[in-house]
Amino acid sequence: MARHSSLPVTFIVPTLAILLVLSMVPTLYAIVIALQNRELSSTAYSYVWFSNFYDLFFDRRFLNAVWVSVKWEIVTVVATMAVAIGLGVLMFEVASPRLRNIYCLLFIIPVLLPRVSAAFVWKFAYHPLYGIATYPYRLLTGGLIFDPLSKPATALFAVASVDVWQWGLFFAVIVLKLLETLPPQPIEAARLDHAKRWQIHAYVTLPMLKAPLISLMFVKMIESLRSFDLIYVMTRGGPGVATETLDMYAFSQGFIESGKVSYASAMAVLMMIATVITFTMLWKRVQA
Amino acid sequence: MKPVRLAASLGAAFVLSATVSTIALAQAPVCSAPVKVLAQPRDGLTLLEDSKAEFQKLSGASFQIDYLNENDRRAKSRADASTVGNYNVYYVDEANVALFASSKWIVPLTDYYPADYDYADFDPGRQKVATYDGKVWFAPLTGGGDLMVYRKDVLEAAGIQPPKTLDELIADVPKLTNPDKGMYGIALRGARGSGANVWRWMPFFKAYGGQWFDGDKPVFNSDAAVKATETYLKLFKDSAPGTQTGSWDESTGAFLSGQVAILVESTPLSGMSVDPKTSQVVGKVGFLPPPSPLTGGGYGHGLAIAAKANADDASKKCAGLFIAWATSKENEKRRLDAHQFGELNRTSILSSKEFADIYGADLGQALAETGKVTAVNFWQDPRWPDLGDRWGIILEELVTGTRTDIKGGLNELEAYANELVKK
Repeated sequence: MARHSSLPVTFIVPTLAILLVLSMVPTLYAIVIALQNRELSSTAYSYVWFSNFYDLFFDRRFLNAVWVSVKWEIVTVVATMAVAIGLGVLMFEVASPRLRNIYCLLFIIPVLLPRVSAAFVWKFAYHPLYGIATYPYRLLTGGLIFDPLSKPATALFAVASVDVWQWGLFFAVIVLKLLETLPPQPIEAARLDHAKRWQIHAYVTLPMLKAPLISLMFVKMIESLRSFDLIYVMTRGGPGVATETLDMYAFSQGFIESGKVSYASAMAVLMMIATVITFTMLWKRVQA
Repeated sequence: MKPVRLAASLGAAFVLSATVSTIALAQAPVCSAPVKVLAQPRDGLTLLEDSKAEFQKLSGASFQIDYLNENDRRAKSRADASTVGNYNVYYVDEANVALFASSKWIVPLTDYYPADYDYADFDPGRQKVATYDGKVWFAPLTGGGDLMVYRKDVLEAAGIQPPKTLDELIADVPKLTNPDKGMYGIALRGARGSGANVWRWMPFFKAYGGQWFDGDKPVFNSDAAVKATETYLKLFKDSAPGTQTGSWDESTGAFLSGQVAILVESTPLSGMSVDPKTSQVVGKVGFLPPPSPLTGGGYGHGLAIAAKANADDASKKCAGLFIAWATSKENEKRRLDAHQFGELNRTSILSSKEFADIYGADLGQALAETGKVTAVNFWQDPRWPDLGDRWGIILEELVTGTRTDIKGGLNELEAYANELVKK
């Protein structure tokens, strides 16, 4: 009898239908717009099919944005995971339970700050004359000026450091809590075998946490794709186009400079396709 | 007699009822809902918010102003006007008024601007900027041209006379730079944008004889543009730190905090530099027109009636009343009393005794002189923001050293301009 119950279908179908509408309607609309030549300043439009996609491959700013996005993704994900694991292990090894709680509270605060607020705080901190982050450089060099946000070589790293400040510290708390949930026996066994502390973590605890750490990495990879607000406030994609990621360039084309919404949609569609393919491949590789 | 009395009574009743209806109509509130305004931060608008009750009494409704910084305001108003139309009043400027007007995102202002508020009293230069295609589109909130504002004490200590020509400026700026003492010869704008770095670059372009278009043919890719860019980049070597990716806020902030010797900027800076609330260099500042042959960048910002959110005539009248009240002589007088120099636009105020008492004769003289060299430096066309912003990015790349080929950048811009023209 239970096998023929329609109850699961009754509950699942409406929810799935709503989800499908919410996700598919904007996606399909974006694809349709990408095939047209819509601009904000005009109501007239026609279908140009793949012309926007074709143009993108000859657009130097688009090609630059692809490269900046890849760099941004690698820098923020790797640095966040390194900071999270490093700090998490350090707290686990060094801090007392009471101190750990205090650190956890402090480390959660940055991620609770709205991104735009965090971006403004750090933009001022990086000011070449008054910034607290550039003060040590001025002190050590006898007043030389360092303007990290206006140097093409440092701007991406300066913005990425804010992302890592927010997410790396938060993930460190998660890593600490994961370490605390591990059974103590394997760690004690390693200690009895005279394993050093770093060996215990490199060969015992972190391999035991492989699955949750990979999940954290995927969360960060998705989050890093949505760094528009941070970059927009801190550099607007500059200096020049040094920090212009794909989402920043798409917004710029759609709403700031040209009002070319179809061109911007074409970028969004390409981003979606590239993201789906990349994440599927990575996921399968991790599962294998 | 009775029919006559009856007719007289009916007539009197008709006249009375007509009078009552007229009074009722006259007193009927113009606005039925709060006026929503999208603007960029201005001291004058902040002050205006203190008088909300006055507007409510006048119109029957209040108003709400949402503020975004200049670039964000431009992006948001463009998106809003072309899609949902949430705002009744947009803050527009010289760079995008042509686009907004030709796209029919705003309506001609004077059709809904009550005559009592005397639009003709606005500074003629600002009226000119507010006019596109023979129609007036906004009421000015700010505007003017450029002034050279300089530190009298710093130039005197260096034994340098205030530069009167561009060549003198180019020669003097490096001599005035002394990073050890936290002093820089000049402050320019490096941040991308037709209203940011391009705005400060254009006087050089015009000074060297540059033109944007000849009919539909782009002619800006010229020796004048190359020379203007070379000069701009040369001067940038002595520009205050933070200005390479900064704009008005960064360059004027550096001057007002005492780190810059000479600044050629939009006229509101002059008022800010003599105000102890905003300036650390009060009493040390001199004013002159921009060194010759630099042209002053004529500009104007103001409030316009949105087309989409004001679908019917009543809504347009309400928005028009708000704009008229916000830019009225009474409100401008309040701005003068609050020493908000950059927010003054009416000739009756600018030529008043109170104005001269507050700001002195020197500034008045410099403003009069600079008016003679103030010009429209940009391409007056709906496609200007698109072209100007594109050049802004290339110029930012050149300023920050991401690219070094000036000619290559201009070639790229010319190709883009040809695409724009083809459309």
